[in-house]
Amino acid sequence: MGQEKGYLALVLHAHLPFIKHPEYPDFLEEDWFYEAMVETYIPLLNVFEKLTEEGCDFRLTMSLTPPLCNMMEDPLLIERFRHYLNQRVELSGKEIERTRGTEFEGVAQMYFDKFRRYQDLFENRYHGHVLQGFKKFQDMGKLEIITCCATHGYLPLMVHKESVNAQIKIAAHDYRSRFGKNPRGIWLAECAYNPGDDKFLRDEGIRFFFTETHGILHGTPRPKYGVYAPVYCPETGVAAFARDMESAQQVWSADSGYPGDHRYREFYRDLGYDLDYDYIKPYLHSDGVRRNIGMKYHKITGKVALNQKQAYNPWEARDVAAEHAGNFMFNRQKQIEYLSTIIDRKPLVVSMYDAELYGHWWYEGIDFLEFLFKKIYYDQNEIKLVTPMEYLQIYPENQVVQPSMSSWGDKGYHDVWLNSGNDWIYRHLIKSTERMMDLANRFPNAQGLLCRALNQLARELVLMQSSDWAFLMTTGTAKEYSTKRTKDHIKRFNELYEQIIGNRIDEGYVYNLEMRDSIFQQMDYNVYSTANKEAVLAKY
Amino acid sequence: MAQNLSSGSLLKPLVRDRQTEADIPSGYGKTESYLLPKDPAWMFLFWEITQSTFEFIKSQYGEAVLNAARTIIRLHDVTDVALFNGTNSVKYYDMPVLFEARSWYINAPESGRAYIADLGYLTDDGRFILVTRSNATTLPPGHISNIIDDKWMIVEGDFQKLLKLSGADYIGLGASELMQVVGQRWKLTELTPSGAPTSWSSFTLHLDKVQEEDIWLNADCEIIIYGSASKNAIVSINGKDIELKDGKFTIHRHLSAGDIVDLPIHARNATGDKTRHINIKALREQGK
Repeated sequence: MGQEKGYLALVLHAHLPFIKHPEYPDFLEEDWFYEAMVETYIPLLNVFEKLTEEGCDFRLTMSLTPPLCNMMEDPLLIERFRHYLNQRVELSGKEIERTRGTEFEGVAQMYFDKFRRYQDLFENRYHGHVLQGFKKFQDMGKLEIITCCATHGYLPLMVHKESVNAQIKIAAHDYRSRFGKNPRGIWLAECAYNPGDDKFLRDEGIRFFFTETHGILHGTPRPKYGVYAPVYCPETGVAAFARDMESAQQVWSADSGYPGDHRYREFYRDLGYDLDYDYIKPYLHSDGVRRNIGMKYHKITGKVALNQKQAYNPWEARDVAAEHAGNFMFNRQKQIEYLSTIIDRKPLVVSMYDAELYGHWWYEGIDFLEFLFKKIYYDQNEIKLVTPMEYLQIYPENQVVQPSMSSWGDKGYHDVWLNSGNDWIYRHLIKSTERMMDLANRFPNAQGLLCRALNQLARELVLMQSSDWAFLMTTGTAKEYSTKRTKDHIKRFNELYEQIIGNRIDEGYVYNLEMRDSIFQQMDYNVYSTANKEAVLAKY
Repeated sequence: MAQNLSSGSLLKPLVRDRQTEADIPSGYGKTESYLLPKDPAWMFLFWEITQSTFEFIKSQYGEAVLNAARTIIRLHDVTDVALFNGTNSVKYYDMPVLFEARSWYINAPESGRAYIADLGYLTDDGRFILVTRSNATTLPPGHISNIIDDKWMIVEGDFQKLLKLSGADYIGLGASELMQVVGQRWKLTELTPSGAPTSWSSFTLHLDKVQEEDIWLNADCEIIIYGSASKNAIVSINGKDIELKDGKFTIHRHLSAGDIVDLPIHARNATGDKTRHINIKALREQGK
C-alpha cells in the first residue's frame, strides 16, 4: 500500500442491443451503433492512446457487452460504419469551406480534425477492429474489460435458472474467444442481481460484479463499510461492489450535474435540421427525412429556445471539462478524507456510469475523463485509481454479506422491465426457455442442419431476452421497434421450433435467420441441456 | 444513403418480415402459472388454463360446485419451507381473481418473504380446488438488515454517517431512469421515498441478534384500475382511448406524494349515442 488515503474505481458500462439489418440497405436504428462508435468508443480509445503516449498511467474498468463485441466484429456493420465515418469526414471537410469567416469556423474545424483522427485510428491503427484497441490496453494492465450477460438479459425475471446459466456461459465463452482469457468481472445487465445468481458467475471463474447502492446497503448482515468496500457473497465468495451515489449524482444531477453547463454542446440543435436540404440530403437516410446527423454547432447557452442558442466554442468547452474534472477529483479527495475518519480501512469509491453518457450525451465527457485521469496521475497522491481486482489484492479479506435483490432502474427493482406496458413478454420468454431446454435434451448430439437449427433457436431465445426491448417499451423511445423486435424473435423461435419438432426444417429459413440474427457464431445449444443436471427451476 | 450496402458479403437475398405474418400466440396450450418478483411489495402472476383442465376439474367436482365457488389466488408464504406440499406454508392469503384476466399484480403482505401462488376454486364449504401452482419467488427485504455480524462491527453513529454518505437517500433513483431524463435537459424526476431508515436510537451491542429498532415507515403506492366492457364499447380513461384485450383492461399508475389523480372512465358505442361512466379519484397525501 502506498501513500494514498483511498481508492477510486471508475466503471463504464458500454452496451448496445444487437441491431443489424442486412435485409435493408440502410436502417435507422443501426445508427445507434455508428453514433456510439464515433462519439464514445473510438474517442475513448483515442484518450487511452494519448495518455499512454504521454506516459500518464490510468485505470478503468469497462464492460464491453457481448452484443456490442459482436457488432464491433461484424463485417457488414464494420463496412457500414466505414461508410458512416467517411461521410462525416466528407461533410465536415465541406463545412470548413462553408463556415470560413463565420462564428462556426472553429467548431467546423474541430469536427473535421476529430473525424479524421478517429478515421485514422479505426483504419490504420485498429484495421477496422476496435476490440483490438481495447484488448491492447487490457493487456497493458490499464483497462479491465469485463463481460455482461450474453444479450443483456434481465436475470431476476428468469424463472428457469438454466437461462441465467446460459446468459453467463455464452457471455464468458464469447469473452474468451475475443480477449484470450477468462473474464474476471461482469456487469449484470441493469445491475439486476438476484441472490444465488453469483453461483453461475463462480462456475465461469468470474470474481466480481457490481450492484446498485442498496444491493449492498440492504444486504444481510449489515455491511460494515456501507458501499465503501466490497462484500463477498456467501458460499461462492464472488465479490460485489456497489455504486457510490455521491459521485453518481455529481455527474447526473439536475441542479449540479456537470453536463448541464451552459458552455457545453447542445445535443438537440443538429446540422441535420439546420442546413439546406439539398446540401444535407446525401448525409441523411435514404428516406430523406431530416434527422440528427451528430454534428452540432451550438452550446446549451441557457434556458432559451433552440433557435436562440449561441455558437459553440470548443476551446471554452474543453476548459470547462478540465474545471469539472478538477472539481470531481477535489470532491473525491474530500469524500475519501471524510470516509477515512469513519472506517478503519482505506475506502473505495465505485463510480459507475453508462459509457455512452460520455461523448454521445455529454459531448465533453470524453475530455472530462482525459483531464480526470491526468489530474489524478500528476496533481495529487491522496486517491489512487484501481480496478476491482487490484482492490481485492490490497484487501483480500472482506465481509460476507448476502446482497439484496436490486437493480439500478427506476425505484431500484424491476419496475422498468416488468410493468403493464411490457409484462406480456414474460409469457413468451419463459415458454421459449422451456422449449429450448426440452429440445436440447431431446437432441443431445444433433448434426448438420438440425444442429444449425437448434443453435439458431438458441440465438433467437437470447436475442428475445435482451432487457433493452422491455426498457425501450417503458421509456417510450423506439417503442415500436422494440416491440417488433421482441415479437419477431418470438415468431422466429416458434416457427423454427415447429419445424424442428415436425422434422421439416427449411434450410432457406434457417439460413435467412443465421444471416440476420447472426450473434454468437459459436453458439452451442447444449448450453440449455439439463441432462445429468438437476433442474434448477424453483418449482415444487 | 448513396450506395446500397446490403449486398456486401451475402450469398443469397434475405427475406424481409412479411407485415401480414401472424401475430404471436396468446397462449401455448398448457395449464401453468409463473410468479415473478417486481419489488419488495409487488409480484406479477400470469397463467394459462386450458379448456381440458376446466373440463377435467368439472368432471371431478361437478359443475354445480364450481359454479357456486369463487375463483381465487391463494398466496402461500413458503419462507423456509423446504418442500411445499400445498398445506405446509407459514401462512396463506386468499384474493379473488378472474381466471380470464390471465395475469395479476399481487401486493405482497410482507417484503423479504418467499411466495408461491395457487390458482383455484374456493368452494362454498371452504374446500380449495387447485388449478395451477406457480414457481416460488423470494422478494427483497427493501430495508436495511437488523442482523449484525460480530466480526464486522461498527458503532451506530458511524453507521448512520456511512448510510447517509452511501446515498441511502437516493435509493431507487437509478441511472437508467436518469438516462431517460438526459433528454429533458437534466431535470430529475421526483425522488421516490427512501427505503432506508434514518435512525436506530436503541442500538445495542448484543451480537448476532435482531436489534430493537426505532420506528420507521416506508410506503409507496401504485393503483390498479381494472375492468371490462362489452365488445362493442370504446373505453377511455381520462379522455384517452384504451385498448381492450378480450374485453378487459388494466391500468397501473404510480402515485407520488401529493398526487391527486382523477380518472374518469367512459364507455361509448361506435355512434356515441350510448355511454356509461365510472369516476375514480385517488389522493396521496404528503408524508409527515
